[in-house]
Parts: sequence; structure tokens; C-alpha cells
Amino acid sequence: MNWNFDVLPDFIFNGLSLGAIYGAVALSLVLIFKATTLINFATGELAMLGAFLVYVLHMEQGIWLWLSMAIAMGLSAGLGVLIERTLTRPFDPEDHLPVVLITLGLFLIINAVAGDIWNYQVRILTNPFGKFPDWVPSLGGDRYVEVLGSRLKYQSIGIWLTLALALFALSLILNKTKAGLAFRAVSSNVESARLVGVHTGRTLGFGWAIASAFGTLGAVLVAPQLGGVNPNMMATILIYALAGAALGGLDSQGGAVLGGILVGLIQAVLVTWGGVVVFGQLYMSILQLAAAFLIILIVLLFRPAGLFGTRRVERV
Amino acid sequence: MQRVALLEVSDITVRFGGIVALDDLSFTMDEGQILGLIGPNGAGKTTLFNVVSRIYDPTQGSVTFDGQDLTAMSAHEISRVGVYRTFQNLALWPGMTVIENVMVGDHTNTKSNVLSSALRLPSMRSEEADLRDRAWAALDELNLTDVAYSPAAGLPFGTLKRIELARALIANPRLIMLDEPASGLTHSEVDSLAQDIKDLRDRHNLTVLLVEHHMRMVLGISEKLVVLNFGRKIADGDPDVVRNDPEVIEAYLGSS
Amino acid sequence: MSTPLVVVAKDSAEHKKWKYAQWLYLAGFLLLTPLVLEPFEIGKMNRALVLSVAILAVNLVVGFNGMLALGHSAFMGIGAFVTASMVQDENWDYWQVIPIVLIVGFIMGVIIGLPALRVKGLYLALVTIAQAAVFPTLVNIDELGIAARTGGPNGKGVSEEVIAPDFLQWLPGVTGARGGSAYRYWIIVVMIGITLMLVTNYLRSRPGRAVLAIRDNEAGAAVYGVNLPVVKTMNFAISASIGSLAGLMWCLDKGFVAGQDFTFLLAIDLIIGLVLGGVGTIQGSIVGGLFVVWVNDLTKRISIPLGLYTLNGDGPLAKAIFGLILILFTFFAPGGIVSLARMVQAKLIRVVPLAPSGEPIQPIESFDPGMESTRADAAMKLSIAGPVCLAIGWLAMNINSLIVGVFAFGFRMIILFAPVAVLVATNELKAHAEGKRPDSIKGPANTARLLGLLGTAFVIVYAAQRFILNY
Repeated sequence: MNWNFDVLPDFIFNGLSLGAIYGAVALSLVLIFKATTLINFATGELAMLGAFLVYVLHMEQGIWLWLSMAIAMGLSAGLGVLIERTLTRPFDPEDHLPVVLITLGLFLIINAVAGDIWNYQVRILTNPFGKFPDWVPSLGGDRYVEVLGSRLKYQSIGIWLTLALALFALSLILNKTKAGLAFRAVSSNVESARLVGVHTGRTLGFGWAIASAFGTLGAVLVAPQLGGVNPNMMATILIYALAGAALGGLDSQGGAVLGGILVGLIQAVLVTWGGVVVFGQLYMSILQLAAAFLIILIVLLFRPAGLFGTRRVERV
Repeated sequence: MQRVALLEVSDITVRFGGIVALDDLSFTMDEGQILGLIGPNGAGKTTLFNVVSRIYDPTQGSVTFDGQDLTAMSAHEISRVGVYRTFQNLALWPGMTVIENVMVGDHTNTKSNVLSSALRLPSMRSEEADLRDRAWAALDELNLTDVAYSPAAGLPFGTLKRIELARALIANPRLIMLDEPASGLTHSEVDSLAQDIKDLRDRHNLTVLLVEHHMRMVLGISEKLVVLNFGRKIADGDPDVVRNDPEVIEAYLGSS
Repeated sequence: MSTPLVVVAKDSAEHKKWKYAQWLYLAGFLLLTPLVLEPFEIGKMNRALVLSVAILAVNLVVGFNGMLALGHSAFMGIGAFVTASMVQDENWDYWQVIPIVLIVGFIMGVIIGLPALRVKGLYLALVTIAQAAVFPTLVNIDELGIAARTGGPNGKGVSEEVIAPDFLQWLPGVTGARGGSAYRYWIIVVMIGITLMLVTNYLRSRPGRAVLAIRDNEAGAAVYGVNLPVVKTMNFAISASIGSLAGLMWCLDKGFVAGQDFTFLLAIDLIIGLVLGGVGTIQGSIVGGLFVVWVNDLTKRISIPLGLYTLNGDGPLAKAIFGLILILFTFFAPGGIVSLARMVQAKLIRVVPLAPSGEPIQPIESFDPGMESTRADAAMKLSIAGPVCLAIGWLAMNINSLIVGVFAFGFRMIILFAPVAVLVATNELKAHAEGKRPDSIKGPANTARLLGLLGTAFVIVYAAQRFILNY
């Protein structure tokens, strides 16, 4: 058999940058899960909507890309709060079915409305890390640097740096602000938090807000890899993010990020050894999706709480 | 007459993280006895129930029932040896009628499977008819036939507690563990419940492990008392002796 | 109205009459459907009934066992592809494939259910969502001969035509223009009938009660000897099995299967049907299937004149309307259409169960409202409402508006309650003869009886005329 190790680093770099994006979306899932113990199946669609906001602000209105992203993240956060307050708060989070139905309904509505406004064609969105900015000295090419004889794209570096920065900001918010403290209190025990005077409703909204903002960030970063934005762009990303969250543990922020990155790496390895070499190019995407499914199944079989999640003790 | 020890709890310790819910607890229970397990809130009474019914794993120690090691069994196997319980905050199934709740009570001793049920084979039909009659009899014994076909929800708390009792009775239990059966009842209801428990014990040859805060009732019907405080046993034995134990009085007065 | 209009002891003669009337209506509905609908509408009805079976499968897990399984589109797909391959490639008959499909579905259910059901809560939702998303891509894999069997991206057609044999030519609808789809309709109806009977038996006995007990309180179920993982997995596998059967019916109905038929969107359609019909009720599954197909049809037809129908196939806003309906039902009618229907039913009839002695658990007489009875008035109103609504509905049908048309159709159905008015009026007159009612009820009761009889006669004549005309 003809193993093709030469392309491996390329795929690993790519896997790491895709994985980081899965991690961002997985983090969005986990933040909401921690706050309200529900899986928001509309996470991907909310993120897609955020990416379209960036598209409108930047591509149509000509606003500076990074400012557009900031505005879009702010607006998604607001939408998250609105959804939490109006649609999910009336329901008991321990009763999973209604909240799952609500988020599925949102999934349909957001996807359809976006499809109606922007239709289902792919629209190009500027890549924030298309090529190195002018002030960076030349490192071998204007889009990549040579590492281990492979090309490490500026795009990958940019994604890692952006997400690292965002994670740093998130940990500051969670650990140094009052709202963050309240969030951690609520996610470890809603009842006790309420008893000591934490405004739980506001805190749940806060969880939805940062989760939605993170989703939007992930969608904007992933768009260039998909050729642009379109209403169905997050469908498969969401599955990988779910796999990442299950792998890392649904209630662990760090776990979500690492889980997402691991899913990206597993994909890379599959593509290199399985996809390209064994099965041929065509089946890459099939194997990747199937891999996500298998990851979830295997994690549940051997480590139901995920790699970093906590087991819960039942109370009767 | 010499009675035989039926339930033997030995050296049970349960830890949740740093908290010791039960600390090296041991006691025995004779067949046919009514044993009152008392102690202030948080003393570990319900934790013991959860250990015996295998919802919790003890950190160490063992529970034997009639010579069999219960700690080696899983939760759904406990009913096979005849150990049943009620719950402090009810564990009825509100989506079914009262009589169906009681019918599930004898799940362990009935046999119909998916195939015989879907096809309504004769074996299943006769078992079902018999089960329904026995469920009715159990409800009748506790004066619950009026609500037999109501959903097991939205009824008075006391009624729901009696439904739990009927559900446990239908399976001919050997040991029945009652978790605060008198909570939410009026004074006169408590008295009649105490009489009922005695009568049921005599009629069905039960052994009763009773957790209850209602002191008059516990002292009135228990033949043996075990007193817990902060997960530790501080006294056990004859109720009249235990109630005058200074440490017991201290635990109760000190904590309230 | 505090007591219902009719109170009967279970299995009493009067209760049986009531049940026969219900069966008669059902039979009338089933017989007339293939006769009066256009061929393409019968096709839609078939699709609706197939979805009903799939929704029943979802309901078994979600509604009756409280486990969130959201990916039954995949089980349908497995059933459909196994059927297509066996019938097309191996020349098996459809009925020979049924056991294979059931077994394959069951095994897939065990494989997926076993790991997912060991842990609580939302993990099953995670696995099954992924399962639904992955399935359409799996059928394209070249290895192991999968793509050859499934037809890969092109899908697979089944050339064997389903035509009624000579000895079944008497079935309503199967001769003439709508023959093919009408015959398939009858096959599907019979299969659904058998499935419903088996599932109902299962749910109303020991194993089914264990399934419900797990939903309502797991700890309680375990203490009473229910082996949680075994019962959950068994129930999930049965559900997967029924889902695969729905796939077989899909293949039989359409004669063509493709991976793109069984996407995540189909899985969501099943969930919507479940919620619309009624979570945790058997009838709800059937109602849900009918509504998913007809509401989808309706939203499409409504969105065209509003200019919202911008794409080929499903207009995007049709999906948005579905999403909205899902959210509205979750908020305002979590019990679905069946729970609304049961509220109406509770106003009409109460069946008093029997004690083992054979006596009703409460005497029927204790429900009698006595001299204050308003039943005769209610019966009269019901008997008048029927013809009035029929007239309004008939007039409204001429207004060329789809929404008005739907309401008009519903209005006209009120005439179906005419026999209830007759029954109630007769009871009241009997009570009057026994001296339990004042003379003042005679007028309304007689009116109700007369109008009710006329209405009943109208329903029978109308149905018979439609039947004879089209048969």
C-alpha cells in the first residue's frame, strides 16, 4: 500500500485549524448546556445568522471587517438573550423535550428565513486571514510559512490566535467579573445560586449571550474554508461540534475546545490515510461525517461523561 | 420465640466527595419486626434506604438479606428477594392510572414479555386478569378503590402515599422500607396509618423498616429503634430504653 | 356543563353502541378516501400514512419512554433501501421482505441504543441527531457493494409494479384511473392496522407499563424490578424496527428511494408530526402523520399567493411556518391535537370503569344531574349546530380562499355529531318518563331527537351516495 506521509503535516495543520473552529462552536453548545442543561440545536443556525450579519455589514455596507464582526457578535448575543428570555425560560430545563422542540423550531425558522432573504447560493465573505498583513516580514510566502516542509497557512495561524484571544477574554469574563462568577455559580447549582441571591434569569441570559457570540465567531472563521456563507453552511459543522462536545464532556469549556480540536485532527488523519490513500478523494467527506458519529458512539460506550466532563450523582 | 436475623447491615460507610453520609453503620433486623430508624434531618436515613435498594453504592460495608449479599446485586434485582420500599417524595408514575401503578408493583413476579403481550397469547391474558384482580384487592385493602382508575397524580399527598404502599404490597414483600409514610398526614390519619402498618405486618408477614419523624407514631409501633446522628449510630435497642438515652436526647434537643 | 352528556358503564350496551359508531365513522373515512380523492391526493394520503408509522416509532421512544430519539429518518432509510435492494436485485416479493426489514431495524436499534441509553438525558438526542445527519452520506459509499445496492447518489428505482390481483379487484378505488395508488393505499392501511394493534397490545401490558414507568420515574421503576437498560434498549429496538417497516412502506408506495429522501429534515418532520399529533398517544401518531403532509401542502399553497414561495420544491418559508407551528404547539398545546380532541370528548362522554365484580366503580345513577339537567338543551344546540354549520361551510366553500376553505371543511364536519344529539335526547326523554326530569325538557329533547335523526340520515345518505357514485 502506498502510504502518503508527505501530505500529513498539511492535513494536520488544516485539521488543527478546522478543529479550533469546531471547538468554538462546541464551546457555544457547552456554555448553554452548562447554564441551562439543554443542547441548543439552533446553535449552528444562530452562528450562520451571525456570519450573514457580518456579510451584510462588511460586504454590503463596507464596514471594516473586524468592526463588523464585533457588531455581529454583539447582535447575536442580544438575539441569544432574547431567545433565552422569551422561548426557553418558561420551560423546566429538566424536562428535555420542550426545549429541544423549541430549539428545533428555531433551527427551521432561522434557516428558512435566511434562505428566503439571501437564498441558498454561496456568497463570498472576505477571509480575515487571506494573506499576511504588510507589516509582517516575509516568511516564505504571503499566505503561508514553511514548517517541516509543509505549508502552515496564515489562515490557520490567524484562527488559532483569534480563538486563543477569545478564550482568554472568556476566562477573564468568567473568572474576574461578577457576571462570570454568577454564571459559574448557576452552572454548578441553580438552586443554591438562587438562594444566595444570584439573579439566575439574568445569568442564564448571559450564558446564551456569550454562547451566541462564540458561535458567530466560529461561523465567520469557518466561512472562507467553505468558500463563503450560505444558509446551510453550519449543518455539518454542528455535527462535528456535537462530536467535539461529547468527546470533551458536555459540561467542560476546556473539554469542548480540546474535543473540537481532536475531532479536527481525527478528520485530518482519516483524510490522509483513509480518505486519500485507501478510499480515494471522493469519500473524504463521507468518512469525516461517519467518523463524527462513531466518535460520539464510542465516547458514550467507554466514557459517557466525556474526557473532561464530571459524572453527576443521582439524587432521589 | 427466637427470631432469625433477616436484614444485616454491617459496617456501611457512604462518602460523597468529602462528606460522610453514613459512618460505619451496623445493625440487624429480625423477621417480622417493625424497626424504627430515626434521627435528625441529614442523619443519613434516606441514604441507608438508597444503599439497601442499590441506588447508591456504599464506599464500604455490606448488606445481607436472608443470607444473600444485596450489595452484589443491581437495583432491579433487589425486588427478586422480596425487598421493597416507598419514597419520601413519592416515586409514582403519574402517566398511568392508580391501578396500573399497582400492577407494575408486581413486575418482578410476572412474566409476560413483548411477544406474548403484542400477540395477546392466552398465558398473558390470564396473567393480566389475575394481576388486575390482585391489584384491585391491594387497593381495596387500603380503601383506594375509588381512585383506582384515576391518574396517579393530582390526588391528596396522603392518598398518593397509600398508593405507594399498595404498590409495594401487591408483590408480597418480605421486607418493606417505608420512608416517612406519615409526612403530610393529619393527626387522626397518622393514628390510623400506624394501626394499618401493624395490621398489614400481621396479615402479610412483613418485616418493616420505618423512617419517620413523627415520634409518637414511631415509638408507638416500633419494636426496635436505631438512632442516627450525622451518619453515625448513636443508639439501638428497645424503644423504651433508647428514648431515655442521654445521647439521643442530646442529639434531638441539640439539633432542634 | 359539569357532567358529560353521556355517562355509561364500560362494556355496557350503550357504551358498545358508542364504540360501534366510532368504528363506523372510521370505516366510512377509510372507504371513501380512495374513492373521492384525486389520484395525486391518494398519493399524498399514502405518504401521510407512511409517515404516521414512522411517527409511531418515534413516539414509542420519545412519547412513551421519555427518551429523546431524533434520528428515525435513518431507520426509515435502512428499511427503504433493504426493501428496494431485495425486491429489485433479488426479486423478492414485498411481503417476503417484511421480516428481514423488521430484523435489520431491530439490530440497528440495539447497536445504536445500547451505548446511547446507558447514559441519561440528552446523549441519545446527540447520537440520533448525528445518526440522521450521517445516514444520507453513508448510502454513497462504494466499498462493500453498498453503493451498488443503494444506487448511490442516483437513488434506486423498483421496477416491480404493485397492482391489485384479480381477487382483490373489489376493493374500493382499485379499478380505474386511481387503481395503483388506491391499491397501495389499502396495503398501507392493512399494515398500519396490524402495527397499531400489536403496538397497542404491547403498550397496554406488562412490558409497556414498564416502559411508561421508566418515563415517569426511573428510580421507582428500578426499585420495582424494571431492568432499565434492557427495557430501554428493547423498546428502542422495537421502535427502530417499526421505523424500518415505515421505510418498507415508503419504498412500496413510491417505488423509488434515494439517500436525499432520508435527511435530517425528514427526522424533524417526524418530530413535528409527533408534537402536532400528541406526544405519548397512539392516535396522535396517526393524526400527526396526516397533519405533517397536509399542513406542509397547505403552507406551500398559502405561501405562493403571498409571494413567499421562492424556490422549487419546498418553499423556504413553508419550513419557517412549520418551525413556528412547532414552537406554538410546544407553548400552547403541548398535548397536541389529540389532547384537544380528548377535551371535546370529555364533554360528550364518560366511561365508568368496572370493578372485578362487574359493577361500575361508581353507580351510573350518581352522575345523573336530576331535575336540573341541562342535557336536553345541550343536545338541542348540538343538533342545530350541525345543519347550521353545514350550511355556513357550504356557502364558505364558494369563497375562493384556501384558509376559509379549510375552516369551512372543519365546520361541515360538525354534522357528524348528530347521533350524539339523538342518543342524549332519547336518554333524557326516558328519564322524563321515569319522572326524573321536569316537563320543560320535552320540547328541546324532541327537537334534538328530530334534528339529530335528520342529521344522521343525511350523513348516512351522503356517504352512501358518494360511495355508490364512485365505486
